[in-house]
Amino acid sequence: MLLENDDLLSMYRLMMLGRTFDQEITKKKGGWHATEGEEATIVGTFYNLKKDDVVVPHYRGSVLVSYMRGAPLWRLVAGIMGKATGFTRGRYRGDLCGPVEFNIIGMISGTLGPTISLGTGAALAAKLKKTNNVAVVSFGDGTSNRGEFHEAINLAAVLDLPAVFICQNNQYSISTHVSKALRCNSVADRAVGYGIPGIEVDGNDVMEIYTAVQESVKRAREGDGPTLIEAKTYRLGGHMAGDPELYRQKQEVEKWKKKDPLPRFKKKLIDMGVLTENKVQEIQKAVKEEIFVAIRMADEQPFAGEKELGIDDIFAPAKGKREEK
Amino acid sequence: MKRLTYQEALVQALREEMHRDESIFLLGQDIGVFGGSLKSFKGLWEEFGPTDRMIETPLSESVMVEACVGAAMMGMRPVVQVKFGEFLPLVMHSIACDASCVWYYSAGKARVPMVLRTLFGIGPHRGHPQDYHSWLLNVPGLKVVMPSTPYDAKGLMKSAIRDDNPVIFFEHMRLYHGSRQEIPEEEYTIPLGLADVKREGNDVTVVATAVMVHRALDAAENLSREGIEVEVVDLRTLAPMDKATVLASVKKTGRLVVVHETWKIGGSGGEVSAMVAEEIFEYLKAPIVRVAPPHVPIPFSLPLEKMFVPDEQKIKEAIRTVLAK
Repeated sequence: MLLENDDLLSMYRLMMLGRTFDQEITKKKGGWHATEGEEATIVGTFYNLKKDDVVVPHYRGSVLVSYMRGAPLWRLVAGIMGKATGFTRGRYRGDLCGPVEFNIIGMISGTLGPTISLGTGAALAAKLKKTNNVAVVSFGDGTSNRGEFHEAINLAAVLDLPAVFICQNNQYSISTHVSKALRCNSVADRAVGYGIPGIEVDGNDVMEIYTAVQESVKRAREGDGPTLIEAKTYRLGGHMAGDPELYRQKQEVEKWKKKDPLPRFKKKLIDMGVLTENKVQEIQKAVKEEIFVAIRMADEQPFAGEKELGIDDIFAPAKGKREEK
Repeated sequence: MKRLTYQEALVQALREEMHRDESIFLLGQDIGVFGGSLKSFKGLWEEFGPTDRMIETPLSESVMVEACVGAAMMGMRPVVQVKFGEFLPLVMHSIACDASCVWYYSAGKARVPMVLRTLFGIGPHRGHPQDYHSWLLNVPGLKVVMPSTPYDAKGLMKSAIRDDNPVIFFEHMRLYHGSRQEIPEEEYTIPLGLADVKREGNDVTVVATAVMVHRALDAAENLSREGIEVEVVDLRTLAPMDKATVLASVKKTGRLVVVHETWKIGGSGGEVSAMVAEEIFEYLKAPIVRVAPPHVPIPFSLPLEKMFVPDEQKIKEAIRTVLAK
């Protein structure tokens, strides 16, 4: 799908919202895994998917993707805070796992890798139900070394499943630089081993990643199987808030700040005549206000209590019985 | 009425359920023309393959189960075979960290109606005997089933498939092509979570599963000639455990022997014993005795195997021990 000016502005707003949300939520809650620097990959990957497509986002960016899927921001914040009105009713951390009611499969456990397989399962369901839906699955460069990466992508390939796999390569798994974890140049190189297309894109160019994902989605919908994309980006912040980042040089971070996807996209849109400095200020103000309101609303919510603990709620009741209630 | 083996009864259950519900699909290795290990899918490929109802996969247990969790979350009803219980550790994450938690963590927004079939136990071929069922009892959100007869196998499999929760279904290899049993022509199911008193008696309660049920019954028959009346309780479902049936039996007899093919330390028999001691200690006339293999890995050589696995003799000794006090 070609991008109209409205789409471009919308993508810019989403990237701005992601960046601003990082800043504001860090003030509220420790241990936040910031997406700073990776917004283009996240927004470009998950923009313009159908409501019935299943998305399986990497944990870093999960909240932004949930918002993109239509989840109200205040409920997402409530989930981060462990409030009773969060999507999991305080039962699971909302920063890592998006709400399934928006066809999001999040990290149900704290383990990286199984989500690639869960996404493959969602693609399998789409194929079996003949729905024409796809599963779009993203994960980090670190995760690409887990066994599930191999098993899941190979299975998706042999079954021609409608899936798109995106490696959000931010070059660090916590402190380990990708050069110490991969001998190949790009995770996309591994696609050859699975007999599927592999595409390497600039993960800081939102339009480039968007185009690559959309082309892969189209191929998947047409029954031509999965694609593996590597979006090379950079984690501008630490692994999580408070990371002293002893494992990398400041110069390296400074070098990548010059490639920051936000100012880069802004310049491009201004050059295209789609955006003005005034409009940027306007968007920034509106986004901040939206986040403040969401955080305020979440603050007012009650914490999860005994009812949410749900000691009699570990099994799904039979559907008929539930309806009788 | 037809007389069927355990294996035939299981396949009949699968066939009937496949006809009843289109959202059920079977996934596993060598489940096609080969018919599944130990003929666990015999005849189904001829009827349902090669279509989307039956999916043969590469040797990738991890993605096989995890993808079925994903597909189940998206509305399908997968029956996945992990050929042998020995391979369960390969899929432990999918079972214990993902499948079990989906209903609870999603606050009831997603279900995992999945059956995981697995062949286990010391059988005629003697390969892959590992019995790791006890590990699973520690995990909230899983159902664990272990039938001892063809009749139970069919009725429990049908209930497992209709259940909206992940069910781990243990199929004992010694019983697989063993004695036949009359199976009614008309439809029947056996509810999960319901133990069965396989033999009534007033002197001692023996709680057992799978092959051990039969050895306990043999022991009971022989002791009956000496005037000792043993009640044999077949748990059938280990999780959720039918406390009421066990407690009622022990209240009546005042004596308890628990027998299983897995190890004593951390074994499910410990849970049965603790439950009885915790809830009706005052009814016990003698200390509880557990019969289980010695705490060594399963040995290969036939004489060693005989020393390892509980037999009728060991069960009789345990019964005499609890009666002597």
